Amino acid sequence: MTLSKLVFKNITRRRGRFVFTLLGITIGIASFVTFLSMGGSLKSEINRESASLGANLIVTPMGSCAYEQVSILTGEILPSNITMENVAKIQAVKGITAVPLLTEKTAIQNRPVSVNGIDTAKMMSFKGWEIGKGDYFSDDGQAEVVVGFAAADTFKLDAGSTIVVRGEELQVKGILKETGGKDDLTIFMPLSLAQRLYKTGENVSFMAVKVDNLALTDSYIQQIKEATNLGVISDKQMLKSVLSIVGTVNITLQMIAAVSVLAAAFGIINTMMTATYERKREIGILQALGAKQRTIFTIFLLESGFYGLIGGAIGVVLGLFVSITAAPYITQNAFTTFVKGSGNGGMIDLKIVVGSIIFSTLVAIVAGVYPAWRAARLSPVEAISYE
Amino acid sequence: MSNAIITTRELTKSYSSGDVSTHALRGVSLEIAKGSFTCIVGPSGHGKSTLMHLIGGLDRPTGGSVHLDGIDLSTLDNSQLAQMRCEKIGFVFQFFNLLQGLTAKENIEVAMMLAGIPEKDQESGALRLLGMVGLAEKADAKPSQLSGGQQQRVAIARALANDPAILLMDEPTGNLDSEAEAEVLGILQGLHAAGKTVVIVTHNSEIAKKAQHVICVKDGRI
Repeated sequence: MTLSKLVFKNITRRRGRFVFTLLGITIGIASFVTFLSMGGSLKSEINRESASLGANLIVTPMGSCAYEQVSILTGEILPSNITMENVAKIQAVKGITAVPLLTEKTAIQNRPVSVNGIDTAKMMSFKGWEIGKGDYFSDDGQAEVVVGFAAADTFKLDAGSTIVVRGEELQVKGILKETGGKDDLTIFMPLSLAQRLYKTGENVSFMAVKVDNLALTDSYIQQIKEATNLGVISDKQMLKSVLSIVGTVNITLQMIAAVSVLAAAFGIINTMMTATYERKREIGILQALGAKQRTIFTIFLLESGFYGLIGGAIGVVLGLFVSITAAPYITQNAFTTFVKGSGNGGMIDLKIVVGSIIFSTLVAIVAGVYPAWRAARLSPVEAISYE
Repeated sequence: MSNAIITTRELTKSYSSGDVSTHALRGVSLEIAKGSFTCIVGPSGHGKSTLMHLIGGLDRPTGGSVHLDGIDLSTLDNSQLAQMRCEKIGFVFQFFNLLQGLTAKENIEVAMMLAGIPEKDQESGALRLLGMVGLAEKADAKPSQLSGGQQQRVAIARALANDPAILLMDEPTGNLDSEAEAEVLGILQGLHAAGKTVVIVTHNSEIAKKAQHVICVKDGRI
């Protein structure tokens, strides 16, 4: 017999209470891990999207807020407020390559999909795309589209298939090779076609800009602003601001999860307090057999810690399972698009796994301190005479 | 008595509840010789069990002193007192006080664990002790699967787990039928013959007749 064997026998003896107390901490840790894991994958997706944007600067309508910046990364619909006149002015700035984008949405087989109107001549080299199947656009203005790798796979599209966007039948000219970004989930069409279908007039949503000389970035921003009176931010600024929003959302979710872990901790305190009353006589027997106060304290603290360890381990498995399997079913929005699009809802991060189990065990041990202290302080005679 | 293993001097114990104070012991001085078989007898509620608790270091006296194997218990802190119980005393109680969730063997192993006996030696030791009380075949039975007499024999085996010099027993046959009582008594006599100091608190005159010394406690005095 060892202390830990004795403890394990003790907690598993009262199965009902064991299971219910365990459920409390399991659910708390599971939600904690779900949020942590999904938040982690969201961040890595944002970094990936930002990299796949292939731009150093983004030109947006003046006064664009952070949500619109997120939308640029996610491919959500953006207001199309930048005129073709401004597009021309920006493209005239020396030392930069600027491409206009019109971001819209359509539905294929009743599922939403992003549509980008692009400058077909410039975009291929700007993005460094490669064609996987079929061909790239022939001439601007044709009623044809090029489809991202994952979108083609999802909707079973191939070169030569047709899709209907806004009532117009368009031919799929080609399929892009996988890029790893949101381009994989997007349908591309010539800008003029998109403007006509979506009735946006001679406008675009934003412009992606590549600079020739990174050292002169500030000067390019200045020149664009002077020429157009539009908002310009660097990809790094955008990434920072988007990550900060995501970070805030993550922290809020994690705090909610932490509260549920805290509630579970009170469940453990309750169970352990009940145990000290119920097992008074048992404590007295152990004391008569020579158990020191610190031995009794250790037994109760270990029992409490076991709840945290076992509940934490099950919670982590459950949390990872939820974050991986449930993520794709979460209603699509700017944030969850990433998770959904990535096809890898939750990442199994060893830091999260180990950290959550340690966290859960520590919380349970702290919760057990007071009941253990109460148990250890019982007088042997009082305890052994307890009926 | 020169070879006294237990000595008490003017031992008093009182309990207060509000303004009322109850005197359980009113100055008990006694000596119990090493290796002796002693019975403490007396009417219920006259302080027998309190005396046993004080001798065993389960409780602290209001006044007077207890010396156990030459050690003044009042000089020991709670942890040292527990250590002393662990090393020198084996307790047996009227209601057996076995840990209900554990088997007979595990109950003895817990006592061995507390006495610092390594896990690898516990099982063989527990089986040997169970064999000694004639319950080797019940090693894996839970207390609820054992009769009262069997439970008490397991409790005696457990009390021997730390190989104590002194066995303190509070009404060890109080809950047993005559057959079980005879079995337990036989074991106790065997332990005494093996050199253990046996102190029994009892109402049972049959046990008292077999004792070398009988101490009668009445109204908190002897």
